[in-house]
Formats: sequence, C-alpha cells, structure tokens
Amino acid sequence: MSYRKIERLVTPGEFHFVGDGFKVHNFVPGDTGLDQRRMDPFVMLDYNAPMEVKASDGKPKGVGPHPHRGFETVTIAYKGNVAHHDSHGGGGVIGEGDVQWMTAASGVLHKEYYSEAFNKQGGIFQMVQLWVNLPAKDKMSTPKYQSIENANMPKVTLADGKSYVEVIAGEYVGNKGPASTFTPIHLLNAKLQKGGHADFDFPENYTVAIIAIDGNATINGEQKIKTNQLALLDRSATDFSISAEENAVILILAGEPIGEPIASYGPFVMNTKDEIITAMNDFNVGKFGFLED
Amino acid sequence: MEKLQNELFRDYLVKKSGLTDVEWQQILPELKCREVKKGEVLVEPGVSFPYFFFVEKGLLRFYSLDKDGKEHIVQFAPENWFVGDRNGAYCGTPTEFWIDVLEDSTVIVLDKYFIEKIESISPSFRKANEGLLQNHIRLLQQRINMLLSATAEQRYLSFIQLYPNLTLRVPQWMIASYLGITPESLSRVRRKLAEQYKRKKN
Repeated sequence: MSYRKIERLVTPGEFHFVGDGFKVHNFVPGDTGLDQRRMDPFVMLDYNAPMEVKASDGKPKGVGPHPHRGFETVTIAYKGNVAHHDSHGGGGVIGEGDVQWMTAASGVLHKEYYSEAFNKQGGIFQMVQLWVNLPAKDKMSTPKYQSIENANMPKVTLADGKSYVEVIAGEYVGNKGPASTFTPIHLLNAKLQKGGHADFDFPENYTVAIIAIDGNATINGEQKIKTNQLALLDRSATDFSISAEENAVILILAGEPIGEPIASYGPFVMNTKDEIITAMNDFNVGKFGFLED
Repeated sequence: MEKLQNELFRDYLVKKSGLTDVEWQQILPELKCREVKKGEVLVEPGVSFPYFFFVEKGLLRFYSLDKDGKEHIVQFAPENWFVGDRNGAYCGTPTEFWIDVLEDSTVIVLDKYFIEKIESISPSFRKANEGLLQNHIRLLQQRINMLLSATAEQRYLSFIQLYPNLTLRVPQWMIASYLGITPESLSRVRRKLAEQYKRKKN
C-alpha cells in the first residue's frame, strides 16, 4: 500500500511579534514550499510555540483593532487564554483546548489579546492561528463567529484505548466536528499516548499538513517529525498514519483546494488586485465598522 | 518574481521620464543602494546631511521633535517616494528633522551631484524632474492649507487618498501626528465614518 509522504519538513526559525502579545513563527506563506497556491485553502499559518507569560496588572497584551476580508481566522488555544472582540458583535474568551472560528468574509475589525484572568495569573501560552480561504462566491458573505468549546468536540478513542482524535471541523471515521465550514476542511487533534497510533485518509487532491504541537512522532512508521515542526504531506496517495514516540499532540489540517486565483495583501485575501484595492478603500472609509482600541 | 535592487528605481525613472536603457547603463555604476532596518535613524538634527532617499521597498518617516519631545510627522515615504531634507541636500546647512525607518527598507541614496549627472545624461529626465519638483511644491501647498484650515475629517480623507495602505502599516498615533490632531480625534473621525456608512446601508 502507498502512503502520503513528507514533501517538506519545516522547523520553526525566526519568530516575530504580532502586536505585543503573540510571539509567532510564520509557517504559511513564509517558508519555502509552503506558498498560498500549494497550501490552498490554507492561506496563512502562524504558530506561537510555548512561551511563558509573566503575571501582570497592566493592560493585557495582544493585537489591537485590525481588519480582515475574504477568509476565516481559526485560532486554536493549546495553552493559555485568548479574548477576542469584533466589529460585528462577535467575541468571547477561549481557553485551553477551545477554538474560535471567525468568518471575516465581507469584512470585520477584530482585536485579540490575553484574557483578563490569564493576564493576571500568567502562565504558558501556546496557540495556532490559521487562515482558511473562502471561495469567491462567499468572500462577501456576512461575517460570523463560532466559539467552539473543547467539550463539544467529538473524541474518537483509538486502538490502545487511551489515545484519541479530537474533531474540530470535518470528520474522523464518521464523527463530525462542530465547526461549520464553507469548503471541505478537516481539522483534527491527535492526542496520542506513547506508542499510540492513528490512521487517516483524505482524498488524494487535498492539501494535508501536520504540526507536532507536543512530542515527537513517526509518519507511516518511517519518517520522523519532532516537536514544533510542520510536515507538508504529498499528494501521492490518500492514506497516512501517525505513531507517537512519546505522549504527543499532533494537529492535522486537510482541505480541498479551492483552485481560484489568490490576491493577498496584509489582512485581505481576495481573488484580484482590484478587489484588494476596494478592500483597502472600504476599510479606510469605515465600511468594516468601528472597534475601540 | 521579486525585483532586484535598483530595478524598481529604474522602473520609476522609465515611467516618469522615459529614461532609455543606454542612459540607465551610464547611471548604474554610481548608484548607491542600501538595506536599512526598522528603527534605524538615517538623519538627525544638527547635522548637515547631503543625501536624500528614494524608497524602493519599505517605509521611512520624516519628522521633527518639539521642545516637549512630541513628534510631528511631516511626511511618510513608502514605496516610490523620495524623502530628504533640503537643508543638507541642497543648501549645506544643518537639518532640524529626523528621518527614521518604520519597516525594513531598501533605499536608493541620492545627492544633488547624482541628480545633476542623470540630468546631464538624460534631457527627458531633466524635464520630468522639474515636473516632479513642481508637483512636490503643489502637494506641500495643499498640505499647508489643509493644516491651516481643514477639519480633522477632511485631513483624514485627504490622507487616505494620498497614502491608501498606510492605515494598515502605521499605528493610529502616527497618522494622528501627521494630520496634526490627537489620536482621540482620529478615533472619533473613524467612528463617525463607520456610523455614517452603517446608517446609509440600513
């Protein structure tokens, strides 16, 4: 039997700050071989590897009001809490294991920062932020916000009886995740005990990548992935497997490519350059609403 | 494909003045290109700095500090903008301004001798350069009038025409500094525009 193999294995290099609170390594579209065309429908992925946040009585750190149009932002909290507010009325706090799924679509302003409680007590902070592109017909649809609590995600127990796969979006062996998506997306967390093993299969044309959030693992029993690395899998087959060399959390992203032209500039992802200019003008004249800093 | 250093400057000259390939080849050996890092100070008051800059990539800021240490931004220089202080560049006198780098940038370093050289090589550049100078003065006149007589909203609307993508690249307080208003006033303007749009839409 043939398996999807690792096409590219990326180790986080330089980090940069998003606002003053998020210390991220940009995997997509920054790293070679992980451009927006190849990663379609995933147009951006920032990874905040575990970092210590000191307790503070000051204003919670984060990133102030900024616009988005044409896609969805998906924030997965592994450690620490994040608060979010947007100009469309969406908002809330997500804690460990939760996910916020914001459909920017026609345009919102939003801000993200440590929650008041997390800011006061400090602790370890670890997040993934993913941008999922929208097809042209949905780019100007109404914005919406889904707060997805961990308790509502199906957990599919694996053969060892202790390891499991958590379904955020899409499905795993018939178990559907709570997130609604515009195109077929599967977003899964494999939470494996040492020696745990999970099998996956997605249509051959899907873009598939995995991130070792915690712990080292082996793909198809032969190729290694270490903590904090991202592996892009090729399109040579449908199946692959992950085995944990130690207790591990592995994020699996799989999505059907949208296959439309991509024009992106900063916080806007559209199909043409003219649409980017329109987005910029609309943002400047207040069409995205208003959000206090 | 990303353009190589100097190519964007060449594209600019070709577009504005119709500079030929032969003329460009004569200019090229004397062209000075620099990579500058965010936060770097390129010009500071009290010094006669004979150079000015063309920004190929990135963003520079031209500003003064008052006696209380408050910044007053005179000009932003994103891609395809020139920025420099005439005191040092043309009169040999010390400057009263700062120029610093807001984003990692690629700049072409110019001086009056180099501009004279391009003018001697290319008559069409001489004519185009005069046009650019007149346009620069026209914009300065508009800016002075704006600062003397326009409302905060008019200043903001003029700013987004001139610099459509800077609202994404610089913090609010810098835009407010450029407009000569407080950040709170800028925030009120943006809130008002958003509310007006919402009312119109409903």
